[in-house]
Amino acid sequence: MAAEMALVKPISKFSSTIPRIGNSRLPCTRIFSIKMSSTTQSQPATVAKKKKGGKKEINESLLTPRFYTTDFDEMEQLFNTEINKNLNMAEFEALLQEFKTDFNQTHFVRNKEFKEAADKMEGPLRQIFVEFLERSCTAEFSGFLLYKELGRRLKKTNPIVAEIFSLMSRDEARHAGFLNKGLSDFNLALDLGFLTKARKYTFFKPKFIFYATYLSEKIGYWRYITIYRHLKENPDYQCYPIFKYFENWCQDENRHGDFFSALMKAQPQFLNDWKAKLWSRFFCLSVYVTMYLNDCQRTDFYEGIGLNTKEFDMHVIIETNRTTARIFPAVPDVENPEFKRKLDRMVEINQQLLAVGQTQDIPLVKNLKRIPLISALASELLAAYLMKPIESGSVDLAEFEPQLVY
Amino acid sequence: MLASTSLNVGSLGGLVLNAPTHYSHKSLLFPATKSLPLLTFPTKLSGTTAWKSATSVKTAVAAVDSSDPTEKEQEQTEKKRYYFVVANAKFMLDEEEHFKELLFERLRNYEERNIEQDFWLVIEPKFLDKFPNTTKRLKRPAVALVSTNGTWITYMKLRLDRVLQESYEADSIEEALASNPVDLAFEKPEKWTAPYSKYEFGWWESFLPSKTSKV
Repeated sequence: MAAEMALVKPISKFSSTIPRIGNSRLPCTRIFSIKMSSTTQSQPATVAKKKKGGKKEINESLLTPRFYTTDFDEMEQLFNTEINKNLNMAEFEALLQEFKTDFNQTHFVRNKEFKEAADKMEGPLRQIFVEFLERSCTAEFSGFLLYKELGRRLKKTNPIVAEIFSLMSRDEARHAGFLNKGLSDFNLALDLGFLTKARKYTFFKPKFIFYATYLSEKIGYWRYITIYRHLKENPDYQCYPIFKYFENWCQDENRHGDFFSALMKAQPQFLNDWKAKLWSRFFCLSVYVTMYLNDCQRTDFYEGIGLNTKEFDMHVIIETNRTTARIFPAVPDVENPEFKRKLDRMVEINQQLLAVGQTQDIPLVKNLKRIPLISALASELLAAYLMKPIESGSVDLAEFEPQLVY
Repeated sequence: MLASTSLNVGSLGGLVLNAPTHYSHKSLLFPATKSLPLLTFPTKLSGTTAWKSATSVKTAVAAVDSSDPTEKEQEQTEKKRYYFVVANAKFMLDEEEHFKELLFERLRNYEERNIEQDFWLVIEPKFLDKFPNTTKRLKRPAVALVSTNGTWITYMKLRLDRVLQESYEADSIEEALASNPVDLAFEKPEKWTAPYSKYEFGWWESFLPSKTSKV
């Protein structure tokens, strides 16, 4: 799920951002002009749910996780085994074996519980779930598109890496399809073919694709496993059966993250200098902050499944950061209590910003009111960025390895 | 790079603030210079040196002269290569909860496809005596993940990272997986903030050699 490479938009499958910032994030203001179609039918039946839904409206309502693209020529160069004779292929071969095993081949099988659970959901909860499914599906699908294209483009220069990308796109397609079937429980469906053409693509250089996608996959794992384990212990909150699939599902996400680890280890220039450290910290911070701010605007969802939003997010951030410290050369010190204090201040400022957007003021006044808030938020961000980081990295590369006791 | 830098910042800013803003500290945060092509990577990657072949590893060796067919059958020994990653028990069994998930996922897969188990957890393995360079860097008690599938062990090294990877040969599986008795006890974490409880102490028992049918 390369989809939610934070920074820009949502970070993980549930957290979703505000399509148009400044105004309400609540689903009630959004028009679900999701195109009806069914993937099983040969004829794409694209009927907008709301009859007024022209193309423009559709685009807007689907503006959730972004689609990504990268410099495919540079990718080809990086993993061309002819050019890079020393490319360490052992880890890729090992990963290929794991992906070929296809642990979840028979996992995503639905049952009648889905429809029954959906039918029971009403009002705001129903809308929250539709939004969750829609954004998650888009996110997975966006990963599918990126990985699929990388698999295609690298086929000649590095067949092993290419095949892994293709197998990862298999996983993403499976996840997206499963979520889309979930939408059918609510009598909706995303027209993924239409999405492919209609959505804008955001460009990231390969280096940034690696950082962002690594984080996106690993944070996805931590979110899913946390929700799964929480709901397993608190089955009363299990209001839709999709969460029962998360334990196996998120192992896919974790493996995808491992692959980006291996890609970065094969290109240590992305990990071993001071610039890599600055970028690593920047990407971590962006991903964590984006998730925190997004989720704090969607507490209904988390409370709906029995979680305390901030505690859930801090747990996910801390665990993701510990995982990321196995590969990124530096990570922020998120376990320092000051880090959470900064996040909470950012949430407050962000809420004030959202409130400004909801006033009846004319745009100029709104913008003037925003200025001090924006600078306050920026300085919190900068202060968080400048907090003393933690030196980290894979033991295969890190300077501190000789001192390490295993 | 500059272009994408401002894209990132602009987008984050836009996302959070809805304001077309560029932070004034941008230059502080984002060095705009390109990576020097001269800064290449170290050629030696420790931990992967023991690795020889990516393909699987079964090497059956007939150890005896084959003059007597019955004797041959009885005394034929199967020298196999075993691959492992090792670290202290607390890391392997208590801290890395995803490790437990991976092992159960693999076990489930083997059961679904009727594959004979080829991986085990060995607590305080005897074979460690052969690796003085490894043991001197190891907190004890130690736990090794052992498998005849070397490719998979390479993957597990990638996943766990803070482990040491080696391989050895053994005449029998009993010899390969022999261990010294030790009692494990893990201190409770100081603060447990996860919205779920830890995996139960002893989850690893289904992966100990004594619990698997073949040993």
